[in-house]
Amino acid sequence: MVTLWTNTDRLFFKINPSFKFLISVSLFVVYLVVHNLNSMIWATVLFIVLFLLVNGFSGRFSFWIVLLTLIVSMFSAGAMILFGQGTHVLFHWYLIEITEEGLARGILIGLRTFIFSIIGMIMASTTLPVPFFYSLMQQLKVPVRYAYGCLAAFRMLPMMSEEFVHVRQAMVVRGMTRKKGVRALYDRTKRYALTMLAQSIRRAQRTAVAMEAKRFSMTETRTYYYEIGWSRYDLYFLALILCTVAFGFLLSNWMPLTPFTNVIDN
Amino acid sequence: MSLKSNPDRWGVTNLRLAFPKKQNMFFKDLTFHYQKGEKILLLGPSGSGKSTLLQVLSGLVPKSIELPMKTDKLSVPESWGFIFQDPDTQFCMPYADEEIAFVLENRRIPREDMARLIRHYLQMAGLSFANPHQLISSLSGGMKQRLATASILALEPDILFLDEPTALLDPAGTEQLWQTVQRIGKDRTVLIVEHKIDQVLDFVERIVLFDDSGRIIADGPKSDVLHHHKKELDDYGIWYPGVWHAFEKKNPGNHSKNSMAAKPLLELDDFHVFRDRQVKFSLSHLIIHEGEWVAIIGENGAGKSTMVEGIMGLVRHRGKVHWHLKNPADEVAFVFQNPEYQFVTDRVDDELGFNLVLKKRNRDEINERVDQTLTQFSLSNQRLQHPFQLSVGQKRRLSVASSLIDNPKAVILDEPTFGQDARNTFALLDLFQKLRQKGTTVLMITHEMEVVRHFATRVLRIEKGRLVEDFLQVPDNDGKGGVNGHALDEHGQAVFQNQSFL
Repeated sequence: MVTLWTNTDRLFFKINPSFKFLISVSLFVVYLVVHNLNSMIWATVLFIVLFLLVNGFSGRFSFWIVLLTLIVSMFSAGAMILFGQGTHVLFHWYLIEITEEGLARGILIGLRTFIFSIIGMIMASTTLPVPFFYSLMQQLKVPVRYAYGCLAAFRMLPMMSEEFVHVRQAMVVRGMTRKKGVRALYDRTKRYALTMLAQSIRRAQRTAVAMEAKRFSMTETRTYYYEIGWSRYDLYFLALILCTVAFGFLLSNWMPLTPFTNVIDN
Repeated sequence: MSLKSNPDRWGVTNLRLAFPKKQNMFFKDLTFHYQKGEKILLLGPSGSGKSTLLQVLSGLVPKSIELPMKTDKLSVPESWGFIFQDPDTQFCMPYADEEIAFVLENRRIPREDMARLIRHYLQMAGLSFANPHQLISSLSGGMKQRLATASILALEPDILFLDEPTALLDPAGTEQLWQTVQRIGKDRTVLIVEHKIDQVLDFVERIVLFDDSGRIIADGPKSDVLHHHKKELDDYGIWYPGVWHAFEKKNPGNHSKNSMAAKPLLELDDFHVFRDRQVKFSLSHLIIHEGEWVAIIGENGAGKSTMVEGIMGLVRHRGKVHWHLKNPADEVAFVFQNPEYQFVTDRVDDELGFNLVLKKRNRDEINERVDQTLTQFSLSNQRLQHPFQLSVGQKRRLSVASSLIDNPKAVILDEPTFGQDARNTFALLDLFQKLRQKGTTVLMITHEMEVVRHFATRVLRIEKGRLVEDFLQVPDNDGKGGVNGHALDEHGQAVFQNQSFL
């Protein structure tokens, strides 16, 4: 789990995680209200570049993540492209009608999904869970029970993936995998869910008791092993993001790649 | 941390407690007290409420675990630490230093002191990391339990509650944990619940013995209790020193040495097993013969599980694995370390019949076999229950029974007696022996050197992903080890070191 982050001493790891989080959220809002296809295209290009420059995952892993989000985005674009309304019909076949306007709207929605994922990945790939939750407690005053609860849950993810492997092996040995058909698939899914849920609930309960046995109190004040503060890197980060966003809008004015400046009006 | 009333004596008077969905109250007016400085061992069969009592005494019940209970008087100490059984579920942080810091934060220790204290507590618990920022998931079970000890020490407790802390540890981890506990427990009050008591006996002075229904049937100095209640210790499946001796008297063990002329059953040639694209186990040549009882031994992480998983084809491997069988998939059974993973149905009887249904046996035959097996494994009363509702021992029996119901030609077991009490262990061993007499070949990963000495006809020692030793032996019950017993003695000795108590 923790081995996911390969280069933890990069610039973006030094930014205050709460700040990074808030900026990411406001970027979501910004790109939610953009209806100019040109701005979206340029912003996407710039954020991919930024992601590739700053991310803390290994090159291979980032490649697959980008590819995967691209595929997901294409799905979300698909519905709009294939069935969108408009006057300039490009292609028509039974129910499917591709129009220029629909295509533009579809691509915009696809890119919006994609840019959200990329911004999310910039955040996730440069933020370790422990500093993130410490920062949430210290800067955003998130109640300690949620923060430590989430951290404890993080610890369980690798255990669950290990468990998944064991359950799969057990199914092979017991011959569950030899049965074919929908019914067998349902049985297997149910078995995975039941076994892993039962284990996880039990584990969560034990961990909760162990935490309380260590005098974890949800209300009283506490000291912190890590003090997450502010630094000049936060300013650099803000400047970098502002530049990226502004540059995106400027480029779309200077070099509009498509005629669709507002996909809603068309 | 001062205490207001009667500072050096705690406990409970007339405790009654109910478990959810159970008709009767569990404890019937149980009274138990202890004093400062005492070292107490709580013994009893599984399900006798020892762990629950420990939780009541520490105040975890009803504060953290809500159970309806009633007492006339309950005095809970202010300064205590609790070590639980499962090494994996006691931590909430990813790194060792952060886990101890979590306790220090709870105690509101200033941040500047933390780094120094973390080193101090780790050292007290016998963990000397060069860098305390150590990933907890990379530690062995034994180290995790010592880390749990270190984080408890950070509470600066006067009283330590230990709830079967070594049940899930291997012998090496167990020994190191008890050494740590002895060292840190010297000036503290210690209450221990434990089944494997041979290494604890030196340390404790008082033993409290519970029966099935949660009543205290003996409470006194250890020598008295051990002397007068040997029968109960046997009945309750407690691993007291000498329990093997008693078992060996009843079960003569395997005496026939396997001749090398026996037919080969499994051949491995130039065999390599991979995990995460790396070779984790390799072997140039090995033949297992029919009728052998092979014990696979070696330290944790040496590659024993990797080896058998490779043989079963569960992980990627290269080279020749050849079973001299018509249909190896049906004729070789595999029993996992954690029985819960391998349950595939919602009822005990369905679970047993699953393999037979898969092989399309006729209904009458399946019913007859299931009935027979239920009786043989004493699971008849549980036949309609969900496998997850069974006790630890019953789960293990069911997992073994469902793998063995169709009399496989070979069975591979991954630490089948791990975490089991003595009674269950012996019952399982009797069963494996009967199977072998009927012609099943047994391959077993085990840490239990007594099992190796008493039952195995052949021993494979794995070290760092390689087979380093392979020898035949005549299993033996005179306590001196096998023919080539040198490998066994050095490891087997720890188990009996306190025999003088009995």
